[in-house]
Amino acid sequence: MSESKIAKLHQGLADKEFSCKELTEKYIDAIEKDNEALNAYVTVTPETALVAAEKVDKKIAAGEKIGLLEGIPMTLKDNISTDGIRTTCCSKILEDYTPIYDATVWDILKKQNAVLLGKTNMDEFAMGSSCENSYFGGAKNPHNTGHVAGGSSGGVASAVGGNIAAYGLGSDTGGSIRQPASFCGIVGMKPTYGAVSRYGLIAYASSLDQIGPITTSVEDCAMVFDAIAQYDKMDSTSQGRKGAAACNTLKNDIKGMKIGIAKEYFEGIRDDVRKSVEQAIDVYRSLGAEIVEFDLPSLKYALPVYYIIACAEASSNLGRYDGIRYGYKAENYKDVNDMIKKTRSTGFGAEVKKRILLGTYVLSSGYYDAYYKKAQNLRGKIVQEFRNVFSGCDVVLAPTVPMTAFENGHAVSDPVETYQTDICTVPVNICGLPAVSVPCGFDDKGLPIGMQLIGNSFAEAKILNAAWQYENAANQFRAADFGVKL
Amino acid sequence: MVTKEEIMKIAILSKLSVGDDEIDQLTEDMSEIISFADTINNAADVESDFDNINNLSNVLRDDEVVPSLDREKILRNAKDSDEGCFMVKNIMK
Amino acid sequence: MKYELVAGFETHVELATNTKIFCSCTTEFGGEPNTHCCPICIGLPGTLPKLNKKVVEYAIRAGLATNCEIAEISKMDRKNYCYPDLPKAYQISQYDKPLCEHGYIQLSNGRRIRILRIHIEEDAGKLVHRRGDTLVDYNRGGVPLVEIVTEPDFRSVDEAKEYVEKLQMIMRYIGVSDCKMQEGSMRCDVNISVRPEGSEKLGTRTEIKNMNSITFIAKAMEYEYNRQVDLIESGEKVIQETLRYDDVTNTTSSMRGKEDANDYRYFRDPDLVTINVPREMVEDIRQQLPELPEDKKNRYIDELELPEADALLLTKYRRIAEYFEKAIEGTKTPKTAANFIIGQIFRSVETESEKEQFDINVSAENLNELIKLLDGGKIRMNLAKSTLDKMLETGKKASELIDESDMGGLDENALDELCRQAVDSNPKAVKDYLAGKEKAVKAMVGFVMKNSRGKADAALAEQKIIGLIKNS
Repeated sequence: MSESKIAKLHQGLADKEFSCKELTEKYIDAIEKDNEALNAYVTVTPETALVAAEKVDKKIAAGEKIGLLEGIPMTLKDNISTDGIRTTCCSKILEDYTPIYDATVWDILKKQNAVLLGKTNMDEFAMGSSCENSYFGGAKNPHNTGHVAGGSSGGVASAVGGNIAAYGLGSDTGGSIRQPASFCGIVGMKPTYGAVSRYGLIAYASSLDQIGPITTSVEDCAMVFDAIAQYDKMDSTSQGRKGAAACNTLKNDIKGMKIGIAKEYFEGIRDDVRKSVEQAIDVYRSLGAEIVEFDLPSLKYALPVYYIIACAEASSNLGRYDGIRYGYKAENYKDVNDMIKKTRSTGFGAEVKKRILLGTYVLSSGYYDAYYKKAQNLRGKIVQEFRNVFSGCDVVLAPTVPMTAFENGHAVSDPVETYQTDICTVPVNICGLPAVSVPCGFDDKGLPIGMQLIGNSFAEAKILNAAWQYENAANQFRAADFGVKL
Repeated sequence: MVTKEEIMKIAILSKLSVGDDEIDQLTEDMSEIISFADTINNAADVESDFDNINNLSNVLRDDEVVPSLDREKILRNAKDSDEGCFMVKNIMK
Repeated sequence: MKYELVAGFETHVELATNTKIFCSCTTEFGGEPNTHCCPICIGLPGTLPKLNKKVVEYAIRAGLATNCEIAEISKMDRKNYCYPDLPKAYQISQYDKPLCEHGYIQLSNGRRIRILRIHIEEDAGKLVHRRGDTLVDYNRGGVPLVEIVTEPDFRSVDEAKEYVEKLQMIMRYIGVSDCKMQEGSMRCDVNISVRPEGSEKLGTRTEIKNMNSITFIAKAMEYEYNRQVDLIESGEKVIQETLRYDDVTNTTSSMRGKEDANDYRYFRDPDLVTINVPREMVEDIRQQLPELPEDKKNRYIDELELPEADALLLTKYRRIAEYFEKAIEGTKTPKTAANFIIGQIFRSVETESEKEQFDINVSAENLNELIKLLDGGKIRMNLAKSTLDKMLETGKKASELIDESDMGGLDENALDELCRQAVDSNPKAVKDYLAGKEKAVKAMVGFVMKNSRGKADAALAEQKIIGLIKNS
């Protein structure tokens, strides 16, 4: 059985079971109690939350109808700009930066009286797979705080998984929504590139970044996606949602739906993870879906292609942190140039510096053709291969991560080995495709396993439909022992 | 293989300083990542029509003025400002 | 040995759009520091650029007016370099697919200066150094520019001066820029090398950056030419470097001192999409282009039979040319209007910007009326000239002024005839006048006034009568 948390809370508010203020306070209290263990929030905003809650309560008291997301306590990853609320990217360089404008997604939700509880932890500038690259220390896994929440949107996943937020928005550049969602046993979707506006999302890699929902159920994911996927004139790459709302077709029958499997996605996958995903495939068979196999020969290049492109764009995107207009500024320096260098060298963490250097390297004269240009060429090839796949199937099913959540402090060993954990998630970013990660089991330590459903461009409704049917047939969501008890 | 000299050169371009204590580890890490990145050169070049992800074109804006922001807001996050300008103080004075 | 100068230009021209290239802030010149700014043009984290449609249009206009081919597919690239006046640490520019390529501008000596490319990009902010502090103002940051790059086709300083003037004239004509060099809306970088006359091989070049006056450009080029020749003659080598020109000392000096050679790491800006330029759009813009100054000048010479000097003066500014063309509508010879404009009206517009504006008291319609009165014999040249002066002073119409001076209804020929009659029929008065009785002329003026029923201008009549007596 699948159950929508947002729908349940909405009903409670509408039926005056509890007031929005009561609900919000419950969440604020839970944060106070549990955030120390989870380290999910880096900034908590109880005043902002209660102001919004009061507005909602007034509306309810006046007998007005409230929207689905109205009054629902939620969180934003700390790379989504919020006017007047500090937005740090979990970097020392932005530790005290307070945006003077709202990201479009927050503008949309704010107008719907979303209750923002605070901003959540992440790997610095979204670079990482464990959340441990955060200047504020990593967020912990609500199913076992000895393990990481994943990354980079680890804080959102930890908060939603630990129910100290009903839902949240993260960003996904190479798996940063899906991987922590998978690690924390919840649902996370990276929409099609262009479906959700990037305006106000502090850029890591502009051609790969996309904001998306992290929720405890597929239905919640669809509701949030339907709300935020709007065309935005501020983002030249924005297109909004195409077609009807994902909620409309969520519960459709999937008999005859063609689900694609590529063996390349299963290479190097831990046995228990593979087994869980294979069981999910069986569930789909039992639901009447047709399983089709195909090849994605260029998938092996996806990871290096991803790192080259992401780092190249990052090296350029992060050039602006020079201490002059905002953020950390070095205090002892010889001249302007020295100030900029000292600011950046002290302000950025090790992983960020490494990726800036790597990006500078692959774009520099003499190396551009061998790395950046070649990577773009292969990007085209991978796009083409996926296009062919979608001419023969509706959705592609794959593991989200080859393993389950690492132990704290375990992720930072060999750099390339660390990057390998992104192997299943990066292809959709390269191709701009939508993918949703859904919990599909647990390992013997009780850590969640996730699988992802990948769709063609702007086919969010289809992958959410497939995801909902699985969830409804074989729900693998388990509430963690934290947060608000509903 | 990435050399220390190359690292120092790209560090200058990136406006980052690399300390003597960091350079060896960084050179090693970078070399490993770059040789991993090199695997893409095993792939044959293909006819690729990759332009931008959704092949969008001509997303343009009309030439209509919107009032600028208050200067107080513009300068709000600056560590130093003076005379309405962002400032990098000469601290060697 | 004689040395030949070889030079090429890179000219930045600020486009006269209302808003910046990637945000909706005003491009207005001046303003208190950082008051024409928003999150986008100060490069706040998370902001995104959105391209101004007009910028594309204006660049295409500039390209067509300089005989360029217009690209069908273009794109924006990032040029990465870190400097405090560049808020994102990259300039959004165009690298390998500029909007316009392969044009030329024809000089008066018949040589063509080839234009390699014209691309669009954003301007940087402004740095002010005060007692060692660095102050940054981003008002100019994000103002749209076209960069016009020539081949190294210049062989003399005069050619360079003519090119800059022509370019300025063309850009103003087509309305894409005011090209005010003193305000920095047109700035030139010049590449210079020298080589022995007759040699085909290019010498080592230096680049003089950021000059904003034609005089300085000429002086800097002369200085740099001599410096390079001296170096070569004394057996030394020219070093390829970037120079700054100091107009006080009239010398160039190296801008080095930055620790590294630049490597701009150009790559396509992922925040912006492809620019497709449909051929219909190019044709539309071409249709809307005004007649260019060169074509206009030639037409004035060939069809209106104006002397070249006049044609040049009248076509240098688009407003003057338009004024002239309105003033000559339905008149006998264009030369009359040309003379009035160049001889009299120009006295009230002295500066470049006054000529550019050409905001004068006499409308083209009013000048046209004056010329028609002259053409029709209602007035003659002397009166026309003095009337034009009054028109310039008062802004009144010619007919109105002539009415005021009681000339209305009485054309100048009729007045002349009356004056002649007055002289012929008053021999005594003539005699008295000649004998020194100046008052005697009054009798003859009285005759004219009476016979014209008071319509004649008494002062003018007196002048004419005295003239007739003296000439008889």
